[in-house]
Amino acid sequence: MSTLVVIDSAPYGDWTGREALDMAFSLAAFDQPVTLLFLGAGVNWLRKGQAPEGISQKSVEKNLSAAPIFGVEGLLADGRDCEAYGLAEADLIAGVTRVDVGSDLLHQYTHTVFAG
Amino acid sequence: MTDQTLPERNNEGFLEDAYTWTPDVAIALAREDGLELSDNHWEIIEFLRDFYTEHEVSPPSNRLFVKAVKESMGEEKGNSIYLMQLFPGTPAKTACRIAGLPRPTNCL
Amino acid sequence: MASIHTLHILNKSPDHPRFQRCLTALGPEDALMLIENGVLATTTAGRLATVSGQIYALSPDLEARGLQVDDSTFVPVDYEGMVRLTTEAGQVISW
Repeated sequence: MSTLVVIDSAPYGDWTGREALDMAFSLAAFDQPVTLLFLGAGVNWLRKGQAPEGISQKSVEKNLSAAPIFGVEGLLADGRDCEAYGLAEADLIAGVTRVDVGSDLLHQYTHTVFAG
Repeated sequence: MTDQTLPERNNEGFLEDAYTWTPDVAIALAREDGLELSDNHWEIIEFLRDFYTEHEVSPPSNRLFVKAVKESMGEEKGNSIYLMQLFPGTPAKTACRIAGLPRPTNCL
Repeated sequence: MASIHTLHILNKSPDHPRFQRCLTALGPEDALMLIENGVLATTTAGRLATVSGQIYALSPDLEARGLQVDDSTFVPVDYEGMVRLTTEAGQVISW
């Protein structure tokens, strides 16, 4: 069984993405294969150099960097959405694979679950 | 260090602000759990402090705590029996409390 | 500073339906204040091309998301600056 957890909401504006991240970490805790996919405004989770001290939140960039340690298998991002939000390869945090999101990708997983 | 001089804590004894932590705080918090800190304890405490600086999150559950220790120090230390002997109860909770980290979100 | 007829405070990302609705409602003497997820519009080239008035973006929200605006299109303001803008505007709409 493999799970794709999809985050399509922008970081910091609400809690839906953090809840989805928590779900992915919980699956990894029980050694269930899990991959994260960032779509739409969700790709902004992956931008380098986030500094949320001024809005009193924890950095989702730093939180995400724990994903490989906990056993999350991959971080995927929709290539076109990255482009729409001005995210070039060099602007992305380490370990992100840009993909073309079509039904091919979604069919590779037993479960696909959207944040929120 | 007495209760009066300890930094602010929540109702479960976790520091409100992880950055008010000092090694003396750890010694005082460990004493509440009846623990005398050894080098083996300090090794895990330092690991957790570094982990928090880098990821701004506590390992959310006991399993992920064990996993993170294993990833960093190998199987010998990254196993639940070893960590339970050092930090009785729920190791992630006990260790995070002593290391001044927030309460692991998914520990009951 | 020229007076603002209506200050539109927008906290939705460009993917949110209310984002476009806000842009449609902008008048020529209005100003747009991007906060929270709204600051992501500083990265989506062209989405704000129709806006003729001044566009402000809240600095702590830009910094949180790793964004820098060196473009003269966007004026970064801090919390105090935003409060000042709301007092200078005849009307405020929070989207």
